[in-house]
Amino acid sequence: MTAPYVSLTGMSKSFVGVKVLKDVSFDVRPGEVHALLGENGAGKSTLIKMMAGLYTPDAGTIVVDGKEMKFASTRDATAAGIATVYQELLLFPEMTVAENVFLGHYPRTALGIIDWPEVRARTRQLLDQLDTFDLDVDTKVLSLSVAQRQRVEIAKALSKNARVLIMDEPTASLVEADVQRLMAVVRQLRERGVAIVYVSHRMSEIFALADRVTVLRDGAHVGTRDIGEVDERELVSMMVGRPIDSLFPKAEAAIGETVLEVKNLNHGRHVRDISFALRKGEILGIAGLVGSGRTELALTLFGMTPATSGEILLDGKPVRIASPRQARDLGIAYVPEDRGLQGLVKSMAIRKNVSMASIEGVSSGIFIKAGAEAQRALDAVKRLGVRCRSIAQPVGELSGGNQQKVVIAKWLQTNPKVLILDEPTRGVDVGAKAEIHTIMGELVKQGVAILMISSELPEVLGMSDRLLVMNGGRVTGVLDRAEATPERVGAAMTRLETGEAA
Amino acid sequence: MTVKSIFRHETLLALLLVAVLIVLSFQSDRFFTVSNLLNQGRLMTEIGLIAIAMTFVIATGGIDLSVGSILGLTAILTGVFWQNVGMPLAVAACAAIAVGSFAGFCNGLIITRFNVPPLIATLATLALYRGLAEGISQARSVRGYPEWFYVLGQGEVLGVPTQLWILLLAAVLASIILAYTRWGRTVYAIGSNEVASRFSGLSVEHTKLALYTASGFAAALAGVIFVSRVSTTRSDMGTGIELDAITAVVLGGTSIFGGRGTILGTVIGLCLIQALKNGLSLAGVKGDGTIMLIGAVLILAILASNLFERSGTR
Repeated sequence: MTAPYVSLTGMSKSFVGVKVLKDVSFDVRPGEVHALLGENGAGKSTLIKMMAGLYTPDAGTIVVDGKEMKFASTRDATAAGIATVYQELLLFPEMTVAENVFLGHYPRTALGIIDWPEVRARTRQLLDQLDTFDLDVDTKVLSLSVAQRQRVEIAKALSKNARVLIMDEPTASLVEADVQRLMAVVRQLRERGVAIVYVSHRMSEIFALADRVTVLRDGAHVGTRDIGEVDERELVSMMVGRPIDSLFPKAEAAIGETVLEVKNLNHGRHVRDISFALRKGEILGIAGLVGSGRTELALTLFGMTPATSGEILLDGKPVRIASPRQARDLGIAYVPEDRGLQGLVKSMAIRKNVSMASIEGVSSGIFIKAGAEAQRALDAVKRLGVRCRSIAQPVGELSGGNQQKVVIAKWLQTNPKVLILDEPTRGVDVGAKAEIHTIMGELVKQGVAILMISSELPEVLGMSDRLLVMNGGRVTGVLDRAEATPERVGAAMTRLETGEAA
Repeated sequence: MTVKSIFRHETLLALLLVAVLIVLSFQSDRFFTVSNLLNQGRLMTEIGLIAIAMTFVIATGGIDLSVGSILGLTAILTGVFWQNVGMPLAVAACAAIAVGSFAGFCNGLIITRFNVPPLIATLATLALYRGLAEGISQARSVRGYPEWFYVLGQGEVLGVPTQLWILLLAAVLASIILAYTRWGRTVYAIGSNEVASRFSGLSVEHTKLALYTASGFAAALAGVIFVSRVSTTRSDMGTGIELDAITAVVLGGTSIFGGRGTILGTVIGLCLIQALKNGLSLAGVKGDGTIMLIGAVLILAILASNLFERSGTR
């Protein structure tokens, strides 16, 4: 086993009196991928920013290649061979690929003038090393895709002879094919002896790439393990701090009669001739790529974009849903995709957000009964486990998971028969995600019918009783839980408009 | 937005008002007298009624620039309905107010149905309604109203100007509605996040329609009071009154972006402006100097409130 190239010991850091990192040790060896794992706010970013020289630690030592170092700035870290590829890429869009790669350390001729042929040749060489033969060094960065920009960032790091490459959630905004390609690049860098610190939420990547994994929680070091020693469940419970029974706790609920039936529903280009039925106590998952019409279908059912033709039957009776208000009165609730824009009034208190869709229920005449409203909010906060200072706290101050619980609480106040959840766990950390899944389980047990839209395939597969797959605004497949495999769903997601498949 | 921060702005404003009153009363011994203050109350009623309705409109993130023109149109119509059409004066005034409310309703319809931004929609109707008023009046004024009509604008009830009672009633009602009812909650929700309000099943369109109608009604009522106060009707009545009303509302702490504001704040803002106007003119300051000072006070009050808010929420 080789000695670590960088090792951090006893790192601590406080911001305005709050300890965000407590006595954390971390090291990375040449030719290894060391994954850094933790929920939002666990201290991952702080740790990598210290390694990159962006923050100075309050306590602790940094040893690089056997020598103790103090980084006063990112320049010092770069000089020590540490480079970072941040989540938000820091390139200059108006400059070319080559100009970006060597920005700040252009090779110069004997006369001190920038040696452009050299810049271009060396950029070409770096990109070729990354198997990126399709990228022209003279293209402006603004015309590149996110994945291509990322490779430019990596090339830039390598141009400074980086020995350690820190990658902060590199796959967060990539599509699947680009993720595969990036993973190949990471493996290749590892072969060449680069030490890689890999920050990611995605378990599948960590198990495919990492040699070791370190878990942080609440700023403290929970453990460092060889990847062979742990499984996914153990990692999650290390992150969350308590055992999680199952990643997708599918509660078995009695499935009853049909609540919602949709026949040949149409709206615009994205909802075309859709038919399906949803039963009491059932979770019907909707899978599909972005733009497949999943959200548009939900918006049509919710009355936001009323159907132009087709039939909606609720408890067997045909209904017309022309506005969200009507949908609500009929017992249809929609937890929207964009929490901040559509789901919450962030500047308002939790209490007011919880009552927003059921304000009549806490009013007598036109007057709001403040006591009843507060009581309901308190009950909801307790029932869903929203972590907050008080119900008077503005929702904007809560974490993503707790915000989402407030949106769900708001709609549970209306006692819905049909609950539509659009990306219910997007941007929510692992612990809150499991809690939301548990809430879903409790709801179906009470007889609520759930329609769940999710881009995360394991989630749809794990939570749904049945699966509706959409593409191009049409249903391209309906699969039972037993027959739904990632391959089958994937095939249906990309299947061309077969139309009558449903 | 917290209860505390609103409280802060209004406390600040009230302190400023007290300070201004004290300073002005030293400048002129005619300022701080009961009769002068009551008379100032009489003069600010029209702006006040409009500003109260405007508080709701601005709290939803909207604006109504056409109120001055609606005031003028109502004033003209009162005279025309009475003198030319031959209605009894009480009926004529009510009919004119109905037309003014309808004008507000039309604003609301343009804004909600056709998705025209309120600024543009009411800028257009500002010109439209004023043009109507001028066309109907043909530059003639109507005078010679019966004596009982002047009770509204020039008379007193229990020693207080009649219209001041109306303003007081309107302010109390509006405060209750904004602070304690579902409608008030809906107003704040729309102003803070209209999309989320719609996604929560709140009736965004109906609420807006009702508010612009109410704004038209308030302007129309102010128009009739105006006629009664000055004993005549002219088509240019109320020109520029929208800016005075908006100034009072914004000075009172209502956010021009919506979601925040109270009637109490608006009323204090209103009193502050009126006190400055009157007190400075009594102290011998010229009109343009007064306007400049009001502008400066507005900017300072907003800056101070922003400063407080920032340190308060952090």
